[in-house]
Amino acid sequence: MHRRTLLTSALKLGLGAGALGIMPGLAGRAFAQAGAASVEELPPLEGELTMYLGRGEGGLYENVLKAIEQRNPKLKLGIRRGPTAALANAIVAEAGAGVRRADVFWAVDSGAIGLVRDAGLAQVLPDDLQAGLQPEFRYPGWAPVTGRIRTLPFHTGRLAADDIPKDIMALPTAGLSLGWAPAYASFQSFVTAMRLLRGPEATRDWLRATAKVAKTYAGELGVVMAVERGEVDVGFANHYYTLRLKSGKPDAQVDLAFTNNDAGCLVNASGVLALGDDELPVNFIRYLLTREVQSYLAREAYEIPLVEGVEPPEGLPGLETLSPPDVDLTRLADLRPTLDLMRDAGVL
Amino acid sequence: MNRWSASWPLAGLIALVTVAPIVVLFDLADAPTGLFEARNLGLVANTLLLTAITVAGSVLVGVPLAMLTAFVQLPWRRFWLVLLVAPLAMPSYIGAFTLYAAFGPGGEIENVLGFATPRVSGLAGASLVMVLYTYPFVLLTTRAALLGQDATLVNAARSLGTSFWICLWRVVLPRALTGIAAGALLGALYALSDFGTPAIMGLDTFTRVIYVEYNAFGLGQAALFSLQLLVIVGLVLYLESRVKVTPERPGRCLQVWPRRGRAPLWLLPALPVVLLAIVLPLAVFGTWLWREGAEGFELSYAWNSARASFLAAVVAVIAALPVAHAAMSGRAGRLFERVTYLGFGVPGIVMGTALVYLGLKLPFLYQTLALLVLAYVLRFLPLAVGTIRSTAEGLDAGVVNAARVLGAGRREVFRRVTLPLTMRGVTAGAALVFLEAMRELPATLLLAPTGFESLATYLWRVYEAGYFGRAAVPGLMLVLISGLGLALMLSGERRAEFGVFGDNRP
Repeated sequence: MHRRTLLTSALKLGLGAGALGIMPGLAGRAFAQAGAASVEELPPLEGELTMYLGRGEGGLYENVLKAIEQRNPKLKLGIRRGPTAALANAIVAEAGAGVRRADVFWAVDSGAIGLVRDAGLAQVLPDDLQAGLQPEFRYPGWAPVTGRIRTLPFHTGRLAADDIPKDIMALPTAGLSLGWAPAYASFQSFVTAMRLLRGPEATRDWLRATAKVAKTYAGELGVVMAVERGEVDVGFANHYYTLRLKSGKPDAQVDLAFTNNDAGCLVNASGVLALGDDELPVNFIRYLLTREVQSYLAREAYEIPLVEGVEPPEGLPGLETLSPPDVDLTRLADLRPTLDLMRDAGVL
Repeated sequence: MNRWSASWPLAGLIALVTVAPIVVLFDLADAPTGLFEARNLGLVANTLLLTAITVAGSVLVGVPLAMLTAFVQLPWRRFWLVLLVAPLAMPSYIGAFTLYAAFGPGGEIENVLGFATPRVSGLAGASLVMVLYTYPFVLLTTRAALLGQDATLVNAARSLGTSFWICLWRVVLPRALTGIAAGALLGALYALSDFGTPAIMGLDTFTRVIYVEYNAFGLGQAALFSLQLLVIVGLVLYLESRVKVTPERPGRCLQVWPRRGRAPLWLLPALPVVLLAIVLPLAVFGTWLWREGAEGFELSYAWNSARASFLAAVVAVIAALPVAHAAMSGRAGRLFERVTYLGFGVPGIVMGTALVYLGLKLPFLYQTLALLVLAYVLRFLPLAVGTIRSTAEGLDAGVVNAARVLGAGRREVFRRVTLPLTMRGVTAGAALVFLEAMRELPATLLLAPTGFESLATYLWRVYEAGYFGRAAVPGLMLVLISGLGLALMLSGERRAEFGVFGDNRP
């Protein structure tokens, strides 16, 4: 699976859908159209379902889940929230102890998904489930829900995009103050990508050098907010935090910068997998891949939709200016060495 | 005193359950390699520094305020005392959260008042918060010691020409040292086990790193850190048990009458403390409530908190009765009681880690309300035991003897005389456990059943997600609950451990 393909296809698909207009949200009408299914076409959900939901997306995922619950009054959805990495590890530990509590795992990061899948806990998903996704995004054990790009939000009052190094390795020594959230799953996937691309030694050195000039925040919204109010010059964050902040505060002094063909502009995906082997978890996942949910997440959460027929979020720069690194998404699951590296460097 | 009491087997069993989490930690603890040694030293240093600064700061703030409230005859004395003790009842993570959000560039103070303030974070920030919320320990214990001092010594010194301030330093303070030490050690214990403050201030102490390790499911490493933290806690508990307050010969306490109109001047130094510890959190939550309303908040969070805490209170009281009874009937019983006090010293994050592991071993308990309630009971049992025991001990022995003389057996006396008379203590103990459990954060974060969101965990969630404004309603509710707890503690002061109004003068 090639990251660049993912991004290219996602953006291209979105452009193609422009003429159709944005879906009117989850209460949407049925559209007879190829590609992603509409919620109108899906079977109703009945029974009890426990979802482990990776935290970090604020109320937007909650709104999606509430809407699904409203459409399916017979569904009894239990949600366990926690940091994505913690939930992934909990699922693995539970399996080790012979306990299974989660039926569905929705993670904000594909690395955490891979951790569970590599433990052999993910159920194989039926082919027709992923029919709405581009062929490159179809995996046997899990489904990507939305895409996201690693970015460098910067304070526009103090810097221009050109002031920021195009090489992520040069960032800590560029004389800028930085902000990061090392405990956040997407950041850890970014470090994993760096480790795969540049090796553990260089990554450890980079972490140590960055730690000297970086302020730590609890989450990446916090990072972007700190950049906006000028507490730090540049931050590390997924693209949507900045776009969301700017949508609520159009004159916000923050903009996005991208590095060139390295881990700094990694493209990643949130994903979902089924742990239970019956119909319900699988059908539940179908709802997340509908046009309605995908367009809602694109429009409100500024995430990149991965199904056909849904527009990408506003505010992302043109594709020709971006060059994400070529990292196999599935390899991001190798989280343990990354955590050890981060601990070793004293940043976790 | 009888040799064998019926309550011993039960009390012994309860004591055994109390020790279980610590045993579990030993089973669980393992470290991958010696990789983390340098980091470990940093952890120990951070934790000890925070504790030391907290102790020093709380003594510097608490002792003068203790003298103020003990000696100076101000109008509305009780009101000032209650106000100055109030931070004790607030969970410190509320303070940390609001201070963090209020100060610094772009903070609420700059938003509302328009001038920039330095950011409150790191070791300095965590220390500030800890001092603000632990000085009342020192205030209370020191004040009790001061009120027990006979003023004739001071008068003698004064008549021999010593100035008033020198008197305080050389005659009054030395005699209050044990009281100060008792409060300072309580503060140290609090600083060691607090999770929310270092986590919010971004200071790597044991509690914060245990949470990070738990999240990366380095349970073995988390358990190892937990045991290391318990060693330090054990040391403080030992020191505390060595502090014996020896009562002086009773006498009239020193009284200072401020000149007419000068009373506000005496209170002025306490103003910043009250502003930061009480007014600021309320103001920040109030601002958020006004700006964002109750968005995102659901009443079920409060209901969940109340339900789990109520169960914990009921179970704790039921478990406390045999322990309290055993403690009053012989040496072995007292030992059992001492053992149940262990839970009080186990930080919430450590208790959570141990019980998660216990749950994985006993799947029928995993992610159940029962396990969460068990965590609350283990942690707060000593509160119930303490209140029940001190109420029971305060009973007039003559009543019991009369019942015995009239032919009632020990059991009947307990059931028909002692227990009804102890009911006030039972209720107070249950209420204390209830209120503590309502505010508990770290163990709840780890042990809450799926779909269970409490006031404290919701507050934590909006903090982590960065939606600070949504903390207004749960924050204010937690402050309100804390206020109730304070009222209860003060009304039950004759029985409670911290005698607020230690003065028995009319």
